[in-house]
Amino acid sequence: MQVPKVSEGRRWRLGVSVTLVVVALFVVAAALGSTSSTKSAGSTKASAKGGYGEVYKADPKILAKTLFKATLLPPRGMSRNIALAAYGRASKKVNFNLALKCWKNDGCKTGTKGKLTVAYVEPFGENVYRHISKMEFILQALTYKSIGRIIYKSAHSNPTQALTDFRAVIAQGADAIVSYPDFGDAAIPVFREATRRHIPVVTYAWGYVSGPGKNYTAVVGENVCKLGRAYARIMNKYVKSGEIAFMGGFPGNPLSAGWQKCERPALNKSIKVVAAEPTNWDASKVQQVVSGILAAHPKIKGWSYEYGLGMAQGAFQAYKAARKPFNAVLTLRTDDVGMGCKTRALRNPKLKVYYYTAGNSQIRVALTAAMMKLKGAKIPPKIVFPIQLQNEAKRTQCVKGYPQEASATSLVPLKLLHRMYP
Amino acid sequence: MHAGRRMTSLLTDALVGARFLSVWIATGALLLVARIIAPEALQSTSWSFVLPYMTVLAIAALGQMLVIMHAGIDLSTPGVMFLGGYLIVGVGNHSNSRLWIAILACLGLGVLVGLINGILVGILRLNPLIVTLAVGQIVVAEGLRYANGLAEAEVPSRLSSFAQNRPLDISAVFWTGAAITVAVALLLRYTAPGRRFQAVGANPRAAWMAGVHVRTHVVFAYTAAGALYALAAVLLAAIRVSVDPAFGASYLLAPIAAVVIAGASLSGGLASATSTWVAAFALTLLNQMLIILGIRVGWQFIVFGAAIIVGMLISGDRIASLLGRLLRPRAAPTRIASGVEQNTG
Repeated sequence: MQVPKVSEGRRWRLGVSVTLVVVALFVVAAALGSTSSTKSAGSTKASAKGGYGEVYKADPKILAKTLFKATLLPPRGMSRNIALAAYGRASKKVNFNLALKCWKNDGCKTGTKGKLTVAYVEPFGENVYRHISKMEFILQALTYKSIGRIIYKSAHSNPTQALTDFRAVIAQGADAIVSYPDFGDAAIPVFREATRRHIPVVTYAWGYVSGPGKNYTAVVGENVCKLGRAYARIMNKYVKSGEIAFMGGFPGNPLSAGWQKCERPALNKSIKVVAAEPTNWDASKVQQVVSGILAAHPKIKGWSYEYGLGMAQGAFQAYKAARKPFNAVLTLRTDDVGMGCKTRALRNPKLKVYYYTAGNSQIRVALTAAMMKLKGAKIPPKIVFPIQLQNEAKRTQCVKGYPQEASATSLVPLKLLHRMYP
Repeated sequence: MHAGRRMTSLLTDALVGARFLSVWIATGALLLVARIIAPEALQSTSWSFVLPYMTVLAIAALGQMLVIMHAGIDLSTPGVMFLGGYLIVGVGNHSNSRLWIAILACLGLGVLVGLINGILVGILRLNPLIVTLAVGQIVVAEGLRYANGLAEAEVPSRLSSFAQNRPLDISAVFWTGAAITVAVALLLRYTAPGRRFQAVGANPRAAWMAGVHVRTHVVFAYTAAGALYALAAVLLAAIRVSVDPAFGASYLLAPIAAVVIAGASLSGGLASATSTWVAAFALTLLNQMLIILGIRVGWQFIVFGAAIIVGMLISGDRIASLLGRLLRPRAAPTRIASGVEQNTG
């Protein structure tokens, strides 16, 4: 078989062409690379794009307030865009009177004559943290003209009621549903039912229901395993060696299990976890657990937990009753004002408190993700916020004007907050 | 004849004493076990939790005891405590000068809820299990509505300072609870209304035939119980310093367990305030021991549940019945004034 001969001139031209194509590919790749690195650097100005009815741009002040730093936005493209779009809407003016009425009446018609109905199904519902989340949801919903009706349901910690509520909002014609994953996978059947009816369902904040992207649209929150590792880094640095204890919420809840599973192996070998007790997020139980562990392990050096205010209300009392100085390292999930103020009042430099954020405003991201889904956007199944623990001594949670149970990283304006809690 | 009466009297005393003795023995055994396997549970750090919290449980259990004595049951306890706690915060409004008004509001709530329960159960003859649960739910709902408008959850500082007082190095809450328990015990045992109250519980038909207003006593039992739940809420708020949505939630079944372990029968009859107090102490101490021992959560529930079952198995009600069968002269069965059910068959 004869191979056709290629002339010298044609070979030279082919070589030059191939070289040019390769160079061009490098240039394109470099350009693309520089674009993506600009995005991940956290510049909000560079993200002034948009789509699906949203503008991917947020006020840096809003980002600084709710996420400590703008760089704590989700790093990935679409997740980041959704977050920027959601926080961008937080700057929009809304009717506070209507928001307050809607908040007090557990729902309302927005008066825009919009055709969409959105629902917030709350399995627990009855503390200041959740009330503020409810207001964040309402405020975000009021920035959409297409939303004509807002529904709110609270099951008061009753799992059966929570599932019934979820089905009820489907029956009421909800076009998008946001929920809090309090009961974990128990919610899968109703989430699937909504998904079958093409209703976007997005959960926010801690906890996890299996199958985001399949059983339901998406989960917005932090990676609880990374939270556990962040806790471990603080413990390794400040406790170094000795005894620490874990506390969690309801026995077996996915949040507590998630961070505890990852903190334990990330700890120094010289640090021993002497207990992992549930508290039901009840301050009385916190006091009991701390008192019991303190009796058995008087030299305990650190506590990892989620609920900052519960720690403040329960553990501070336990130490006080036991007449022991509260010399310990605390790693906490929420940034409750009460925790910060109680820590400040104690004036004990040996009490080191590290916290993350309550994440009230994540509900805005959840609603915006659901709204974008309705407009045909491809929503990533997990919209994950990075984790960076804050040092109470450097950035206090104790912000004047806020209720003790509130989080100062909430985006509910202080004026409105004062009208909510006169 | 006199010898026969003396015999009957001795038998009665033995039966009544035995009914309430077992909880004291069981608590003694628990203390012994704690001393061996969890001595930390008997140290001051542990007492600083156990004594105030057992007091709250004991006061709630005393309320439940008054109801159980009349063959009733009251499931409105968490509701009363929940709304009562928020009333202390809301009416108190961070002002020490308003503390007494707040406490009165809380007690008023307890009396009102108890009165409603009493009327529904005692006069309208509705099932206490369902009625009190329903009333409790309504009270919780009202509590949630009320709590929605409260920005702060801390009680007036004078109340929390009171809980931190330590006469004789023991929490003031404990002493308050002990005084209330003694008062209830004395009222029931040594006053005419107290004896009538017990007589109605022991045998309503006999009491009615003796001219006692049975329904009034049932209504009073629920009303007094409501007041005691409210009092428990005041003490819990004092210990906790602040109130949250979980406030009082754990007092649904624990007070009932304390009353039954203390020797009372759910079908009504005699009950002992001091034994109820001891049972509340034992339950709180056991709970604390399980945490100190570092037992896994699942096993904690199992051990705690098993302890309650064992407590009921050896409860005075069963022992009294057994002793009654063993000691009672077969030839002349005697109806005992205490109202212990006769199982002569």
